[in-house]
Amino acid sequence: MCKATFIIIEKSYLIRKGLISIIEKIPNTQVIQQFDNEDDLKILVNFESDFIIINPNLLNANTLEIIKKIAKNIQLISLSEKSIVLTKELEWTAQIYLEDTQNSILKKLNTLIGNRETKNVKSEVPEEISKREIDILKNIALGYSNKEIADKLFISTHTVVTHRKNITRKLGIKTVPGLTIYAILNKIIDINDTGKSKS
Amino acid sequence: MADVIHTNYFTLSVLNRFGIELGFGDKSVEEVCKKNNVDVDFFLEIVNAFIDKDYFPKKHLQTFPVKLITDYLQKTHDYYHKLKVPEIENLIEEMVDSCYTQKENIVLLKKFFNDYKQELLNHTHREEEVVFPYTLALEKAYNSEELDNSVIELMDTYSIEIFQNEHDDIEEKLLDLRNIIIKYLPQPKNSKLCNKLLYELFNLEQDINDHSRIEEKVLVPKIREMEKIITKRFTKK
Ligand SMILES: [Fe+2]
Ligand SMILES: [Fe+2]
Repeated sequence: MCKATFIIIEKSYLIRKGLISIIEKIPNTQVIQQFDNEDDLKILVNFESDFIIINPNLLNANTLEIIKKIAKNIQLISLSEKSIVLTKELEWTAQIYLEDTQNSILKKLNTLIGNRETKNVKSEVPEEISKREIDILKNIALGYSNKEIADKLFISTHTVVTHRKNITRKLGIKTVPGLTIYAILNKIIDINDTGKSKS
Repeated sequence: MADVIHTNYFTLSVLNRFGIELGFGDKSVEEVCKKNNVDVDFFLEIVNAFIDKDYFPKKHLQTFPVKLITDYLQKTHDYYHKLKVPEIENLIEEMVDSCYTQKENIVLLKKFFNDYKQELLNHTHREEEVVFPYTLALEKAYNSEELDNSVIELMDTYSIEIFQNEHDDIEEKLLDLRNIIIKYLPQPKNSKLCNKLLYELFNLEQDINDHSRIEEKVLVPKIREMEKIITKRFTKK
């Protein structure tokens, strides 16, 4: 079963901390990122998460656009006083009120997480790295650039980049030296081959 | 002050960067800071941000003089190069010496870290030689009454925008190294040494994280603001 992930957007340190401590009471959950102001939200698109919990007061013309863009894949939960009226421009999955007791917050979250699981049938089987990816990895480790690899394998640079992203995601290794070590450890290349391509 | 350390052991290294040595008895944080000529407010914000990665009062931190900030950053660089990096090197060296089954793999790690060390050195060197002097010069111009054209010339040759763009993610490789050791290095490993190494790598990574955060979210916006105001002053003239 994969973890339910949360992003929290709220100005108050105390409220963020409080909410996190409640979320952490639920097994298999993780708060992957938190924001204390609207300025930083630009980078939101870089995160994959199941839920965003946001104080609606932090929504302005800019942030609304950002949230709209990502809301297709992420469920929105508001975090505010009961009296706040939510904007109709966004689709809210649930509302958490500052007046809520811990139990009612837990209940709401558990329901959401439960619903999510029936929707998502993603299996947790670790993804094997494919034959094609091993080819690419080999060339990266040998020191070839994306463009060179594309030319060598008769594919577009864009495809190479996509493969690279997948390799990084599957292995958890991002940098070229890191990938090189992986390739050597797994006998994809020989230690004496490294850096040969670059004269 | 003793409580600060008892709360979180890692603050020791932060104290170190402020030049505060142990043996302060029961003195309060304020007293110890005063005695060591350390700005109490600044010290507290830095320590708290260091302990708790969710706590980051960047607006408040931006109000401190550039010199305070760059001094702290500079000291942190020294800490990496003089203490942390050699410590990790020693651990890897020990692993090479004590390993018989896969010496060649550990030697790979050693080379990886050696390259990383060079990269870190280049990174901090550039900051110390180019970025910090620039920020200090800019602050001086900002605080001065007269309009000196040399600052405009300086701003023509460099800007904090350039730094922001060239400032690379120096932690990435450390994470890679940890992943390699945890997931892909064949057994058997000398687990005691291995754990120690992982622990040190993790600490360094966290520390650099905190450090880069100060550079990117405190120093950069602060200087950008100054650049704006200085430019305004000159256009008014
Ligand atoms: Fe630095
Ligand atoms: Fe840096």
